[in-house]
Amino acid sequence: MRGETPYSRRALAHAMIAVMGLALVFVTVAPVHALPVFARKYHTSCQTCHTVFPKLNPFGEAFRLRGYRLPSETEAQVKEKPVSLGAEAYKRVWPDAVYPSDLPGGAPLAINVKMANVYASSKDDSGHQVTHNDFQFPQEANLFSAGTLGEHFSFLGEFTFAETPDGGSETEIEHAQLHVNSPFGPPNLVNFKVGKFSPDLEDRFQEMWLMTDNGVDTLFAYNPIGLHGGTGLEEDVGISLPSLVKGIEMYGIAHHRLFYTVGVTNGLGPGPNDTVDGNSSKDVWARIDYKFGGMGLDGDTTGVTLPPENWREKSLRVGLLGYSGDGSGIDFPVEDANGVTFNVQDRRYQRVGVFGSWIWNDLNLFGVALHGTDTLRVSDESGAQLDETKPGYDTWFLQADYVIKPPFQVSLRYEDLTPGDSSAPKSRFLNANFTFLMRANIKTMLEYRRDLEETQNYQLAAVLRFAY
Amino acid sequence: MKTPLLLSLVTLLTVAGPLTAGEIHGQVTCKGLRNSADAVVYVDQIAGKSFPAPAEHALMDQKDLQFQPHVLPVLVGTTVDFLNSDALLHNVFTPDKCADRFNLGSWPQGHKKSYTFKNPCTATLLCNVHPEMEGYILALPTPYFAVTDASGAYTIENVPDGSYTVKVWHPKLKSVSKQVTVSGSTEVSFSLTK
Repeated sequence: MRGETPYSRRALAHAMIAVMGLALVFVTVAPVHALPVFARKYHTSCQTCHTVFPKLNPFGEAFRLRGYRLPSETEAQVKEKPVSLGAEAYKRVWPDAVYPSDLPGGAPLAINVKMANVYASSKDDSGHQVTHNDFQFPQEANLFSAGTLGEHFSFLGEFTFAETPDGGSETEIEHAQLHVNSPFGPPNLVNFKVGKFSPDLEDRFQEMWLMTDNGVDTLFAYNPIGLHGGTGLEEDVGISLPSLVKGIEMYGIAHHRLFYTVGVTNGLGPGPNDTVDGNSSKDVWARIDYKFGGMGLDGDTTGVTLPPENWREKSLRVGLLGYSGDGSGIDFPVEDANGVTFNVQDRRYQRVGVFGSWIWNDLNLFGVALHGTDTLRVSDESGAQLDETKPGYDTWFLQADYVIKPPFQVSLRYEDLTPGDSSAPKSRFLNANFTFLMRANIKTMLEYRRDLEETQNYQLAAVLRFAY
Repeated sequence: MKTPLLLSLVTLLTVAGPLTAGEIHGQVTCKGLRNSADAVVYVDQIAGKSFPAPAEHALMDQKDLQFQPHVLPVLVGTTVDFLNSDALLHNVFTPDKCADRFNLGSWPQGHKKSYTFKNPCTATLLCNVHPEMEGYILALPTPYFAVTDASGAYTIENVPDGSYTVKVWHPKLKSVSKQVTVSGSTEVSFSLTK
């Protein structure tokens, strides 16, 4: 049910095209999560866990889901001997003494540096094409910290320093998370994660797990809050799915192949008076996956014959995911074409989707289809309700990654977004990537991203990344 | 001159032969660990045989913030002296009932305290001043024991010929045992897993 609202749909549609064009340039590039911390700890190559960093191979995925521990890990495999914070026997003395733990043997730090030559073309407000070729040397540096703390805890931190055009830098704590691994029950069945993190709701398709430089913006950067079809793709305000959350997640693996996660997070924010959450309601999510064939999600290989090339297997992983939140009381000011300001509240937002990942030797085809609904309440500046609608939108992407040879890998992704309001423009993007892994920890990429709805919006980036 | 000497040798060999002690030696492989040190290989209780406790004390040192040796096997009844060689306070206690859950308190550098292991026991040693410190004392029923070096090699000397149950204990791995017939120098190897 939709009431009459005083604005021009055509003007808004044009504005959205411009916004999306700008989004092509300004939506942030993906942070990369390759953790040489673990290469040092185990004296092993990045290739043990990554096809091309940060994309994980099946073994790397198992390592991650096991709380950064090797399947059937032995003391001999850990080359950097941990520092004991209490002898094993103190377990028997507890609570008369602190429960024993340990620290990583080496400083659990790693650095990832990214440089990029970005050639971007976009259409400005007056309809003219604007092009720019930019050396962004460096574009950003990431300081990682990760490891295990004894038997049942692990941690991951990422501090990003993004270079600003004036030579300064913006810093962000992208990840600060503590995991509790298998505190009870069978191994890997029950785990907890608390802090700021990419939820496992988005395992395998959030940007930190993609081989491409660009994330899936139609999935993460779309903001449906607006008058007709939302405000398009915008950096850091998209709420289609949250790229990072501050929350608590419980996740685990049953019978080697069934993966589940449930979690709770703040939701829309920030709130007033230096609060993080815009209201007291919390968002929740859930996902359940099953993997057929290939290595088990916990690294189990019982009854499975795998080729020596560790990126290869024949498997199919499918999953269902859902996310729900309540944005009541959180006003988002929007303007119509006449400059009149309204407040929009997203009183209930829900996302349901399916995930699939098919690995057939050198090919990995994966994607997500997501349907979102938002209960949008429009009010004037005095707070009087003018309208309440429940638009839906659909978005999906499909990505094919292919290992030509271990140093040479390619990726092609198609993204599609259809807002619920037919007057709002669709978004369709093509993202093509060629990666040359010069060394296990040095890679170059050539990545092309094109707006299929507006041919003047595109970006070509030559990226150099190295981690140590 | 030669005949008396030859006769003496023959006599000596004839008399000493049945009493000659052999040895058990071999290799212990500790799977999954950085090295194969600290496994204790010992001859288990021998039916109808007991061994008097030695008068000499054994020594467990606390040096450089470590129990040294990390693993100390002794015969049941042995008194162990706990020496503090560090210029800081240490403590020794055990959570194990077989050693009366003793807590010897703290004492300064150069001083000792003692405890007599009256029963067969695997006692974990802890220091409540330095929680990372850990050591082990095994009070064993026979004096036939040895501790492996980093390569896993061990030698138990002076073991009379005969049939025995030989056990292997390790702080982190499952114990194993074998029936062994000792005849002179006898080689026995073991493999331990978690």
